[in-house]
Amino acid sequence: MNVSHPAPDHSAPDRSTPGHSTPGLSTPAADGRALVVTRISDTQWQAVEDDRVVGSGDTSRRPDGRLFVSVDAWQGPVFDRIARTMLTDLPEPLHTVTDEADQEATAAWQRVGFAVVRREWGYTVPTDPRTTGLGPVRPPAGVTVLAPGEAREEPLRDLDRAIHREVEAGAGWSAMPAQILPRPAGTTVVHPVKYTVAHEDGRYVGLLRTAPLPRRPRIGLLAVRADHQRRGIARALLAHALDSLHRDGVTTAWAEVAETNAAATALFEGIGACRAGSTLELVRH
Amino acid sequence: MAKTADGIEVEGTVTECLRNATFRVELSNGHIVLAHISGKVRKNHIKILPHDRVLVELSPYDLTRGRIRYRYRS
Repeated sequence: MNVSHPAPDHSAPDRSTPGHSTPGLSTPAADGRALVVTRISDTQWQAVEDDRVVGSGDTSRRPDGRLFVSVDAWQGPVFDRIARTMLTDLPEPLHTVTDEADQEATAAWQRVGFAVVRREWGYTVPTDPRTTGLGPVRPPAGVTVLAPGEAREEPLRDLDRAIHREVEAGAGWSAMPAQILPRPAGTTVVHPVKYTVAHEDGRYVGLLRTAPLPRRPRIGLLAVRADHQRRGIARALLAHALDSLHRDGVTTAWAEVAETNAAATALFEGIGACRAGSTLELVRH
Repeated sequence: MAKTADGIEVEGTVTECLRNATFRVELSNGHIVLAHISGKVRKNHIKILPHDRVLVELSPYDLTRGRIRYRYRS
């Protein structure tokens, strides 16, 4: 099951600008306290009670155009008031994310009309070949794997663009973890040194991007051109990247996988990756 | 006009990730609090791990509770 990629509704009035905000919306809270929620900038809301800030709201737009909201408040009624004010001010659809283990936060968003549309697993990925079983894995015949820094920049950018186009034509980026969202045109492959690349017949056919965070590296993107899939290229890329991390003394990496991505789930769980948490995406249409 | 949040903000170090999306954080004054991740941090997919240095806003209703508002880079 893939979540559909909502097209922007250009016919809807744009209420996302301060000119259409709800300034100083002030109504008594259920317990009679004077709570005022005010939009203080394009992307921020603030709840003030008795001259004290008791909560805040925030929005940010992802590169694919989706608008994500967040609310921080110590008390449920304040959360609800901020969220409802933001809903009045902003065009739908609106998105947010919660940790699935945080049932209180998820329930709060559901109270104001959001519904869960997708789940993303967080995996702790071992790097030791004795655990992953990837030690003997080699690329398929004719394919070579280039270590980070060895790939040429321009063909790598071409591959990145091609993969993004293929995803757009298929599942769409809304079904993918946030870390691999497409970037604005012309800014693909920001740091080529982060990429392990599969190469065949003078053409780059697959890539794996690792964010070398000092605390725990994150596998940010693992993708193979559609016409080269199901040959073991992704597995070979993963074997190369994890072995490199292992030799550097890194014991685990981190990866996020959409629940609906059966191929990626099977790949990671097949090498001993453990689910270490899950993130929910909620949407209000 | 924007007002400054009235909460008490204290730097601390994450000592443990708990199962219910909360973290045990040792504050710079030695106190231990239970903290959850702020919506803004969550929205930006910032991961919190043990040993991370963080900025915690303490709850005005319960000073043993807090909200992680920022994770320092080092």
